[in-house]
Amino acid sequence: MQRAIEQIGIPTIIIAALPPVVKQTGTPRAVAPLVPMGANAGAPNNVEQQTAIVKATLQQLVEIDVPGKIVPLPFEYQAKV
Amino acid sequence: MSLTVVKGLQSEIFVPVTPPPVWTPVTKKISEMTVAIATAAGVHHKDDKRFNLAGDFTWRRVLDTMPSSELMVTHGGYDNGDVVKDINCMFPIDRLHELAAEGFIKAVAPVHCCFMGGGGNQEKFRNETGPEIAKVLKEEGVDAVIMTAG
Repeated sequence: MQRAIEQIGIPTIIIAALPPVVKQTGTPRAVAPLVPMGANAGAPNNVEQQTAIVKATLQQLVEIDVPGKIVPLPFEYQAKV
Repeated sequence: MSLTVVKGLQSEIFVPVTPPPVWTPVTKKISEMTVAIATAAGVHHKDDKRFNLAGDFTWRRVLDTMPSSELMVTHGGYDNGDVVKDINCMFPIDRLHELAAEGFIKAVAPVHCCFMGGGGNQEKFRNETGPEIAKVLKEEGVDAVIMTAG
């Protein structure tokens, strides 16, 4: 999906909980905060963390200069299961 | 010296192949971008048709005017607990609106594209759903897409 959108001429970035998986599928750009699947954009109702992740994601959209690069983000959320 | 002695050898075992890179350079500043969300998290409006949990290559249009409280998720591939509490966990739409209001981005796109990842007909995804979503986003004048998946 990301590749299709990129192909038509729109730059994309994916927020991934599983960076090896998005690497395998050929992502152009990705960020990887330390989050579980299902909370890629941050912990529920944690506005501050979600905002920080979305902002950092947009910054990496501009900064990543090589296709396939995945940048780790310094935000962590561990779901209590 | 080439490390390949015999060319064209192929494994009998199916192995994942990483496709060649695709790349659209960024030409605008963040503050000049209209941003859309595309997600594989199975997000859709409560009145919209749910995804088929057994695998579904269709997609749902989420209009930017739909309040986030009216959105829900159909996806059997991950723990929905967090996203049920707060849709922004996978679909940070309220955060995007705040960023647009403070001028960090120019605007939020009028439409967002949602599908259910983790299965389904990959050929359909690659050849139909993907290009269809890309076309919609292009027509809406989207400058950048944030995705959540994987």
